[in-house]
Amino acid sequence: MSRCIVSLFTAVVLAGAFGSVASAQPAPAPKSSSKAPATDGQVWGALIYATDDGSAVPDDGTTFPKELSDLEGRLGKVFDHKHFKILGQHTQDILREYESWVVPSRDLFLKVDSNGPAEGGGIHLHLQFWQGEQVLVKSDAVLRAGSPLFIGGPKWRDGQLVFVLALQAEH
Amino acid sequence: MKTPPEDHDLIRWLDGEMNDAERAAFETRLNADSQLKAEAESMQKLGERLRSSLPKDRPMPHADFFNSQIQVRIAQMELDEERSSARASSASWTEWFRLPWLAAAAAVVVAMVAIVSRPDSRVAASDVTQVLSTYAPNPDVVVRGYEDADAHATVLMLDGLPDLPADQKIVGYDVHGSRADKAMASVTLLGSDGQPLVVLAKDSRDQPRVWDLTTRG
Amino acid sequence: MPESSAPDTGEVPDLDLVRRSQDGDTRAFDVLVTRYRGRVYAMTYQMIQNETEAWDLAQEAFIKAWKALPKFKGDSAFYTWLYRITHNVTYDWLRKKKIRSDGEFDDSRTEHQVAAGALAVPRGDAAPDAALRNSELGAQIAAAIDQLSDDHKEVVLLREVQGLSYEEIAESMECSMGTVMSRLFYARKKLQELLKDTYENAA
Repeated sequence: MSRCIVSLFTAVVLAGAFGSVASAQPAPAPKSSSKAPATDGQVWGALIYATDDGSAVPDDGTTFPKELSDLEGRLGKVFDHKHFKILGQHTQDILREYESWVVPSRDLFLKVDSNGPAEGGGIHLHLQFWQGEQVLVKSDAVLRAGSPLFIGGPKWRDGQLVFVLALQAEH
Repeated sequence: MKTPPEDHDLIRWLDGEMNDAERAAFETRLNADSQLKAEAESMQKLGERLRSSLPKDRPMPHADFFNSQIQVRIAQMELDEERSSARASSASWTEWFRLPWLAAAAAVVVAMVAIVSRPDSRVAASDVTQVLSTYAPNPDVVVRGYEDADAHATVLMLDGLPDLPADQKIVGYDVHGSRADKAMASVTLLGSDGQPLVVLAKDSRDQPRVWDLTTRG
Repeated sequence: MPESSAPDTGEVPDLDLVRRSQDGDTRAFDVLVTRYRGRVYAMTYQMIQNETEAWDLAQEAFIKAWKALPKFKGDSAFYTWLYRITHNVTYDWLRKKKIRSDGEFDDSRTEHQVAAGALAVPRGDAAPDAALRNSELGAQIAAAIDQLSDDHKEVVLLREVQGLSYEEIAESMECSMGTVMSRLFYARKKLQELLKDTYENAA
């Protein structure tokens, strides 16, 4: 299946129309009943507010998942701020045959397409990072468990919004 | 069937639909006519029985779901309207990829595709997330993808993004589930109590639309 | 004076919520739904005597109200306008049911698994016998109401239960005040007749 998508991708790109890959793919909505659609993994997506002002966002008790309990520290090594508040979080299955959306917030969210499993673990993903009605960046990446992706978003107030995407380890 | 005016008087008096003068006149008649009085009392009693056994307000089963369903249907209706009205208008999002610099970008992308098309051979097995290619539609934005060993993370830095206004309210969701609606081609994300948070759908230009249900107006 | 259906003082007035809803404020509309869903559901349930269908009809009424908001000018009370929509939605359903079935009730719809146990709130402090008698009487009254034609049933419900004035009833049912009065008089006489025996035995 991933080969089909890739050859389609190639043909379309050579035609010079990068953006229409998205529309060349099958129907958007996952089937709801009867049969669960095939998945290639599960991701945790979160919108984080990196700030030096500890009182900026009230603590509503949303916590980092167990395997990312040291996420704040890791974020601190990349983004020069003291506090990292989770504004929203969404755990989402990555569907093999449909696009998946990771929407921890109305304002910044991710469209994810699976390009199949990667050798040695992980998944090939095509990512689109959206802000409202525009795409900020598109990327092809191999997401691996234990190695989260930090997307530096726009600056806001006295800090910055960061989108975190992490592949959940298989149980 | 024409009802004699007298019957209208009786119920009008009963239901307080008479003015002071009419009421006074009718009450005089009541006191003089025992049969009329009996009928009036009987109807009054009927009214009391009706009111005591039929509730004005009926507790609604699944009341929260009733409300949230209405909100979801309103969101779906609005998205559907936008879909049908946008169909006529020109698709502005196609303009960006007709720009001259796309040709150069396309060449780069082709090279990247070669890598992606042979995932097993080109991408070495590793335990680190890798960014293979990036593209930012906004020419002022520079994308840097790199691995930060210290942080055990991979970073996509976007330099040159416009700041968000300070007064913009960022709406976050704590998503606990989802529900797909095949007919409307939309997905509703749900919170911890199953309450709908946001409806996701695609408009006629295949653009994702996010319809927030938590803070409107 | 007829009982007012206006909200208690201290609450945001209906018209404010309606104006905000007309501007697209779905939260304001949500408040209106919460405020009136009990009354709309009481009407639809009492008219058709089926919980699941009445629930759906109540939904329909509010969805139609949202869609028709641009047409609401504020020259009548919001709840009267809402009752008119409820009336139309209910009558459409009744008409379809009569056309579709030959008198038998079509209860094949199971999409909304509404709990059958949710009934009107029982009177908590009534003694067991009184409670039983009340519920028996209640059932008899409901049965009697059900024997009236739709028009007569509705006019009684709007007047006695919902407390609307004649003018408001005329607006909701889209008929003249004269018609309202005729129907109301006839309906009450009919109910008196149907409840004659129970009447006399009740304390």
